[in-house]
Amino acid sequence: MRIITKCSWIVALLFGLVFYGGDPLAHAGVLVQCPGDTDGSADWGPGETRPPNTKCIHLGAGDGFVTMADGKTQYMFGFSDLTGLATRPANPADAVNIIAAGTLAATFPAPVIVLDEGDEFYLTLTNVGMIKRPDLFDPHTVHYHGFPEAASIFDGVPDASVSINMGSSMTYYFKINDPGTYMYHCHVEATEHMQMGMLGNLYVRPAQDGTPFVYNGKTYTRFAYNDGDGSTGYDVDYPLQIGSFDSAFHDANETVQPLPFALMVDNYPMLNGRGYPDTVNPAPLPAQPMENGGKVTQVESALIEAQPGQRILLRISNLNVTRFYTLGSMGLSMQVVGKDAKLLRGPTGNNLYYRTNSVTVGGGESVDTIMEIPTDAAVGTKYFLYATNLNYLSNDAEEFGGMMTEIRVVN
Amino acid sequence: MKNKPIKSAFYIAVFSVLLLGPFVTGAGAVIDGITGPTFNLSVGIGRISTPDGGSVLIWGYAGGTGQVQYPGPTLIVNQGEVVTVTLTNNLTVAGTDPAPNVSIVFPGQQVAVVPTDPGVPGILTAEAAPGATVTYTFTATHAGTYTYYSGTDSALQLEMGLVGVIIVRPVSGVGYAYNHPDTQFDREYLFLLSEMDPRIHEVVEFQGPAGVAATDYLANYFPVIWFINGRNAPDTMSPAGVPWLPHQPYNIVPRMHPGERMLMRVVGGGRDLHPYHHHGNHSRIIARGGRLLESAPGAGPDLSHEVYTLQSHPGNTIDAIFTWTGKGLNWDIYGGTDVNMPHTCNGKAVGETQDAGAPEFDPGTSEYCPDHGKPFPVILPADQNMAFGGFYGGSAYMGTSGSLPPGEGGLNPNGGFAYMWHSHTEKEMTNYDIFPGGMMTMMIIEAPGVTIP
Repeated sequence: MRIITKCSWIVALLFGLVFYGGDPLAHAGVLVQCPGDTDGSADWGPGETRPPNTKCIHLGAGDGFVTMADGKTQYMFGFSDLTGLATRPANPADAVNIIAAGTLAATFPAPVIVLDEGDEFYLTLTNVGMIKRPDLFDPHTVHYHGFPEAASIFDGVPDASVSINMGSSMTYYFKINDPGTYMYHCHVEATEHMQMGMLGNLYVRPAQDGTPFVYNGKTYTRFAYNDGDGSTGYDVDYPLQIGSFDSAFHDANETVQPLPFALMVDNYPMLNGRGYPDTVNPAPLPAQPMENGGKVTQVESALIEAQPGQRILLRISNLNVTRFYTLGSMGLSMQVVGKDAKLLRGPTGNNLYYRTNSVTVGGGESVDTIMEIPTDAAVGTKYFLYATNLNYLSNDAEEFGGMMTEIRVVN
Repeated sequence: MKNKPIKSAFYIAVFSVLLLGPFVTGAGAVIDGITGPTFNLSVGIGRISTPDGGSVLIWGYAGGTGQVQYPGPTLIVNQGEVVTVTLTNNLTVAGTDPAPNVSIVFPGQQVAVVPTDPGVPGILTAEAAPGATVTYTFTATHAGTYTYYSGTDSALQLEMGLVGVIIVRPVSGVGYAYNHPDTQFDREYLFLLSEMDPRIHEVVEFQGPAGVAATDYLANYFPVIWFINGRNAPDTMSPAGVPWLPHQPYNIVPRMHPGERMLMRVVGGGRDLHPYHHHGNHSRIIARGGRLLESAPGAGPDLSHEVYTLQSHPGNTIDAIFTWTGKGLNWDIYGGTDVNMPHTCNGKAVGETQDAGAPEFDPGTSEYCPDHGKPFPVILPADQNMAFGGFYGGSAYMGTSGSLPPGEGGLNPNGGFAYMWHSHTEKEMTNYDIFPGGMMTMMIIEAPGVTIP
């Protein structure tokens, strides 16, 4: 394994030298477009003016490694956050090698994207190449899954429009009009790139945020949707993405073998890219010095914490590629207030909210659920959220783990 | 901006719009099928082709003297009609056992099993013995989308291909899904979602159905090919009725103009759930299982809600309305001040201000006028930095084409906006280990003036 790894490194380095000309500064294809930003960092530093309601993000698309809850290392494709790295600084000495920064930096899940209704959103995607698979010349895209009234050019479907080649950037533009729980993923060779991990949380906060509404005797200023009555008000919110990996597929990809599409069966069920008990670890998982060169790639936790009496909004989405999962709650019931980034109301205002102990979510679906911690719940109380397809409470052969997390009552 | 439209094509499109003015859109009845209320069906064997070059033995329903087909003929009737379906069993099987009985069940219809049923009594319904005939009769009391399939040894016979769709048109007539104005549509398309485990078909082909009983294939079902309307992508996008797919006559190529309402009739035609993701916009689920989502009779779909992924359940149906205008993109879908693509919104050219109180949408093109003339806000990468899709016409704008490197594009000649409509269980976008394929098609929103059959 180590020999293979080292050989790949050498090949990749040679490849990188040839392909990128060995010049760390001259990447003509890397172009970050962000209004008001002059140094190409996709954010606004001293001397730069951020136009109102503007958000910029710079993502890298490439490969990397993550660790499963049973300790297994998994090769993956994914997105990394390159926001803040100057690509055209006033002083050339401050330049960062974007390709190097993105190499083996793929995170799982991909960086969370949080937007506000009314935003103008510029996402620059730079394809940093997949250094462990220099034989692949895959382009990448970002598909903004569920964005309403979408235009084909920015929809990220390679067959329907364009995708970005290695060493280059594309900037996507959206006016964000509709709050709700969406998700994002690469749509190039979707079955492969998504199984390999190019998946992330994306949600949009409503314009109603900041306006106080009294609901059930409590005042809320944050809401899932523009409900007009405070009924989607919450104290804390968590994005929670269902995903699962088939380790045989990942191993085949790493070792340049034919990919088992037909035989794909996921054996690592996860929430926010982790299997239990990693899901309840609030910290980033340790980097892998050997495979990742020390880059931290599993930042997001799946632990949910709230105080007694608080309302929790869970933004649940599913981006696994093999099956439906049912997520059940033990001890707290869920009120489903949103589905697929829409408030659950009929066209004439009929309330379609419902209470349940489980939600069944297929790939590409989302639900917004609200749970209330009882006011008399003792600090330290735990509730569980888990796949009621009970055979998915495992990390491969390891019982007990998989698709489960805890809701902890805290001070 | 590097966009270089083939201007003549665009001018033609725009000119047509100007000439036609508020042009007429009739309800496109593009769902292929046979009309009733009397149907003569038979069951026999056939072969379907898969895009990997393989083929699979099926048992299928055939209409009249037609070919056995997968799915069976779509039966189109009118609400209130007495529907009579006569089924003849022409099935032949390998091995020494006789061919099995076959039948049809009609979920959602007022069909009861009564002792006086003709045919051979079965568990779920009356059956046709090999070489014999059975007749079913029911009144199509409710409008909507329904399925039909074999009620005999259904686990095997549905897998073998004995499944189809019934559409009951409402009293309100053409262009309505149900008897309420909110169910009106301009175009309608059928999406029968299904899957197959070819191991079962191979055993049936060489050993007959008795051979399947000796395996665990029905219990440990493992599909590897996925279908819409009986075809795997990219065959889904070939024309209907092509001679090289004699047993798979139905295609699925949804197309519409901005502002039109498309009725999606989504049918779970196999044994699995499928998350059917339609890119481009939300759809509104107005009915499930052939019943309008209404709070009271006559209320209309006031319990409907919007989704971006339709959760299709086996044996059930969904009716959903999809529409698209590009509202709120914050740039002009026909090209803004940054390019020279002349067109009007409420009579105003690019660069002119809208009148106060002007309609939100242009009555002819359905363009969202508040975005009229707004330039495209970012620069697209240079050609050599991009990979191009076959459905990309070389321009980000609707109804226009642009320059493309040699060999690129070509599948979207009118420069429409193309979207992938597919199972989001992405594994189901493969054909027996080959990506892409499976439960997938491309939907195109065509510029006004482009003729859609």
